[in-house]
Amino acid sequence: MTISKSLFIQSSAQGYRLLALVLVSLVLMFADNRFGYLSQVRFYASYSVTPIHYLSELPHAMSQQIADFFKSRDELLEENRQLEEELLMQQYQLQKIDHLAAENQRLNELLNASAIVDDIVVRVQLVSESPDPFRKQILINKGSIHGVYDGQPVLDADGLFGQVVSIEPYYSWVQLITDPQHSTPVQINRNGIRAVVSGTQGSLHEMVMNNMTGNADIEVGDMLVTSGLGQRFPAGYKVGVITNIIRDPGQPFARVTVAPTAQLDRSRNLLLVF
Amino acid sequence: MAGSATLRVSHGIWVVLASFLVASLMLVMPLPDWLEYYRPEWMALAVIYWAIALPHRFGLVSAWILGFFVDVLEGSLLGLNGLVLALVAYLALSLYQRLRMFTMLQQASTVFMLIGLHQLVSFWVLTVSSQNTSPNLMFLVSAVTSAIVWPLVFYLLRYLRRSFRVV
Repeated sequence: MTISKSLFIQSSAQGYRLLALVLVSLVLMFADNRFGYLSQVRFYASYSVTPIHYLSELPHAMSQQIADFFKSRDELLEENRQLEEELLMQQYQLQKIDHLAAENQRLNELLNASAIVDDIVVRVQLVSESPDPFRKQILINKGSIHGVYDGQPVLDADGLFGQVVSIEPYYSWVQLITDPQHSTPVQINRNGIRAVVSGTQGSLHEMVMNNMTGNADIEVGDMLVTSGLGQRFPAGYKVGVITNIIRDPGQPFARVTVAPTAQLDRSRNLLLVF
Repeated sequence: MAGSATLRVSHGIWVVLASFLVASLMLVMPLPDWLEYYRPEWMALAVIYWAIALPHRFGLVSAWILGFFVDVLEGSLLGLNGLVLALVAYLALSLYQRLRMFTMLQQASTVFMLIGLHQLVSFWVLTVSSQNTSPNLMFLVSAVTSAIVWPLVFYLLRYLRRSFRVV
């Protein structure tokens, strides 16, 4: 017996070691979940994973460069023409918007409301998505050295995308607006009714509008914009469109589903609002 | 034999480290949305392999440190992956002699159980910390895919271990 024992790794010591590690993990998880004690630890530890984020981003960046390199002159000319056309159309619309913005400003001044400030936005790129399919988070290529802060809103060309939840030196994690743990204060663009929309489990393209009574003035197709309440998101960014309303007389509230306007599964180019 | 192992304890450590680096890359490599559920638990597979192959060198603390690294990498609850990887390493270390004797099918089914436990424990922890957002049992699918890719991982890492003489 004593001879064969040396063939085994001492298993009682292993058991105590496992117990100790489990306890350490539990304390760490408790501290991380309940209190924000460990955000500094995570921040410094994330220096070690920066190269891996960089490497995982590399194939896309390289394929992009190679594709750019082999683009033919005709394609570029065609693209250029299309972009010019688009720019012209948008400038035409901007003229009207400039006029409306000025008018809005004057009216706000008449009402003694605070002035609407133009937000500064910075372009960022999506690096990767959360490997956990049940958590709707993405990684963007700007971090604390670029001045990213906790809770910063992220947009794409079509609407609100999410907010920054965890910051690393060179990258940061963004929670999407359809994450079940995320809620966005909104108002209906048509009549100004305020509400809160929350993400749902499972679908990336569905949110629900909480606590809307059966007789609330809401219609399918209503556009929802951020209300600016809660002081997290600036007012006026598009959030989603109401796609379905179920008014069940037996239920206290109507079930209202909302589709996000942002291209949550397609956009790689995003905007960070400062 | 034990003497020679302790003498050459740092031998080939870079092969082990490189395998963990590749595993962590595979862990965050972007996949299409529908494929995310099927992503094998690469890090846990690598931990199981090195626990079987080098039980005298690869221990629970190494597994826990790797898990901490995975937590930072994935942005998950700090300590979660440390907990589950230490647990997987503990079970693999206590089974390593049997696992070495097993046929590939038996090994793969043991890996299925280990990864299933890995997933289940993280599921419980996330539920307790109210971070769990999984609506169904899809989180167990990766245990199946991990068992399917296990022979590949096993033969590849064994080939590397033998050609670089990691003992």
